[in-house]
Amino acid sequence: MKISHKVKAQTRLRLLEAAVDVITEKGFEKASMREIAKRADVADATIYNYFSTKEKLLYGYCAHVQTLVLEELKAIDDFHEYSLRDQLHQLVEMEIRMWLPAREFLQVVFAQTYAAPSVGHELLAETKEHLKSMVVELIDASIEAGEMPEQPYQDLLPALFWDYQTAILAYWLKDTSDNFANTTKLVDQSTEIIAQLLLGGVIGKTLDMFSFLFRTHVLQHLNTLDNLMMQPELVAAKRRFMEGAE
Amino acid sequence: MSKLPSTQLARAGVVGSTAMKLGVGKIKTKVKRPFLSESASQRSEEQREDQEAELLFKAITQLRGTAVKLAQMLGMETEVLPERVRQELSKSYHQVPPLNRVLVRKVIQDELGSTPEDLFKEFDSTALAAASLGQVHRALTWENLDVAVKVQYPGIHVTIDSDMKLLGTLVGGGSKFLSKERRPNEEILRKSLSEIAARLSEETDYINEAENTRWFNTKLDIQGVETPAVLDEFCSKRVIVTEYMSGVHLDEWLRTNPTQEERNRAAQHIYDVFFQSAINLKRVHADPNPGNYLFKDNGDIALIDYGCVKVLGERFVRHIPTLLYAFYKGEYEEILNAYEQLGMKIRRDAQEDFDKVLRPFGEWLSLPFQRETFDFKTNNRYTVNGRNLIHEMAHLGSFESVEEDFIFFDRTIYGLFKIFEQLEAEVNFVDHWKHLWHQSGILDDASGVGSE
Repeated sequence: MKISHKVKAQTRLRLLEAAVDVITEKGFEKASMREIAKRADVADATIYNYFSTKEKLLYGYCAHVQTLVLEELKAIDDFHEYSLRDQLHQLVEMEIRMWLPAREFLQVVFAQTYAAPSVGHELLAETKEHLKSMVVELIDASIEAGEMPEQPYQDLLPALFWDYQTAILAYWLKDTSDNFANTTKLVDQSTEIIAQLLLGGVIGKTLDMFSFLFRTHVLQHLNTLDNLMMQPELVAAKRRFMEGAE
Repeated sequence: MSKLPSTQLARAGVVGSTAMKLGVGKIKTKVKRPFLSESASQRSEEQREDQEAELLFKAITQLRGTAVKLAQMLGMETEVLPERVRQELSKSYHQVPPLNRVLVRKVIQDELGSTPEDLFKEFDSTALAAASLGQVHRALTWENLDVAVKVQYPGIHVTIDSDMKLLGTLVGGGSKFLSKERRPNEEILRKSLSEIAARLSEETDYINEAENTRWFNTKLDIQGVETPAVLDEFCSKRVIVTEYMSGVHLDEWLRTNPTQEERNRAAQHIYDVFFQSAINLKRVHADPNPGNYLFKDNGDIALIDYGCVKVLGERFVRHIPTLLYAFYKGEYEEILNAYEQLGMKIRRDAQEDFDKVLRPFGEWLSLPFQRETFDFKTNNRYTVNGRNLIHEMAHLGSFESVEEDFIFFDRTIYGLFKIFEQLEAEVNFVDHWKHLWHQSGILDDASGVGSE
């Protein structure tokens, strides 16, 4: 029997949502693939066709949230008329809104990622790509509309935004104020700053300055080092060392 | 009706502004002085007031809610703040930088469960007006009703507590810089602040405001005065939707050069509203900032924003006509009796205080009642003239406690008088009171009143 693409996507989503429930209830360590499969009404073995490990479920949901965010943003009729600042603000608010039902789960994601940064980093790549592509699109549209100047190191901006978004989520997870009022305020004020930095091309200009300082001062020292390395005696010593002589 | 409590508030204003000056302006001037020639330094001193006002306004607009509200409350009744500062403050009545559409959307979605575009047929994402703790958007319901949607700044309720604590510290610290005789009475100051704090936190609860709006809409009945109806299904703690009221704000209305008759009409409406609500309904719209009134071409008005409503006590409402009558007649024993009936503790052994302070204060206070209509155009310095008297009253050692209702009652009247001065209107005060004095048997012969 051939399973349609649509049914596959539905099963995948069911598994992700079941994983959120089970992991939130039991914690990451105690949650089992078997229980998640059961909760999703999927056969024990079938779950592995979709997710080979529990980690993939964990980070799979993170990527899923990004697709939700994108859909919700698209659903705002006049989103394209928003200023860059409002668009970025809406993006961050939407991230929080979409994470809200799974806030405790997000706590687990943070804990797991800190516990095993390299694994987390690798498995978060998909989520990161999703967010970055949204930011790229917003920035490109803003440049095209002449709202924001083109600037050096433009490719770096989405990555910086990812770090910012992560920091905001971390703050939100610790926020105990009523209705997360403090996070709302922080997001309002910080997106204003970010927009100002982008619109003024400040980030590009700053990086330009550091690049100048680096080239002029640090690289010069590297040259000195290079010359040092090129000293005949040193070169000879190095060769001897590399060849395992003496 | 005593001016005493606005005095206490005026004091809070003195202290607050002093602390602000010390905190912002003075330091700035001190830092600058060493690098300036003498004449330039002089100029700098003159510019300081301007800079202060701008800085203050910037700070206030940053803080939004609480500070704006406080600035309004203090700035409104204190002539003590420099003119330029007050001008800047008056901008904040309805010119606070707006919430962006993202936050408006968020608040509506959080509070009412749907987005503005789902709830309304049309929703203007540009704010119509900025209120102190929120802002107002115009919208059209699916039933084609023109409405005003007031949205609260998100999280303002959280910051109010800490802001009030900060203000308490600021005021407490500021008073140390004042000479002993100018230092405010701690108890009265504390009471004023806590009253303001209570009113502020009430103001963040739009359910309370919706209730007040509904109350005034059903009870207040004055020809030429409109009050909006509330759309219950769209109201929550942080969002309130009412019928849209037409009209423009005071400044804008004055720019259209209304006739004397229209200005009189508007002012009289405002006073009638105050009198009817305070005396008959025992509930005052205690936020007399010009932004709460909308003016129409013919001088009719609409009363908007019911966030700050004070319910007056039975005893207060019963005895206030007696006090006013005693002031009107200038009978000082009667004045003291009336104050006592109102629950104020007074030391009676300070006769000198009363001759020096209470008599001129009483003369000033009863001036508008000595004639049929009081002309704020020819008496355009009425509130300014009262300023020193109010101050002296506040420093009168003979008052040991103050009734809470006074604070809001007097603050309101003082605020109204300032509006009347701006309107340069002729207002009839005496008829309402004459009628009341007659009715309550305080006055047997009404002919002696208002005919001097």
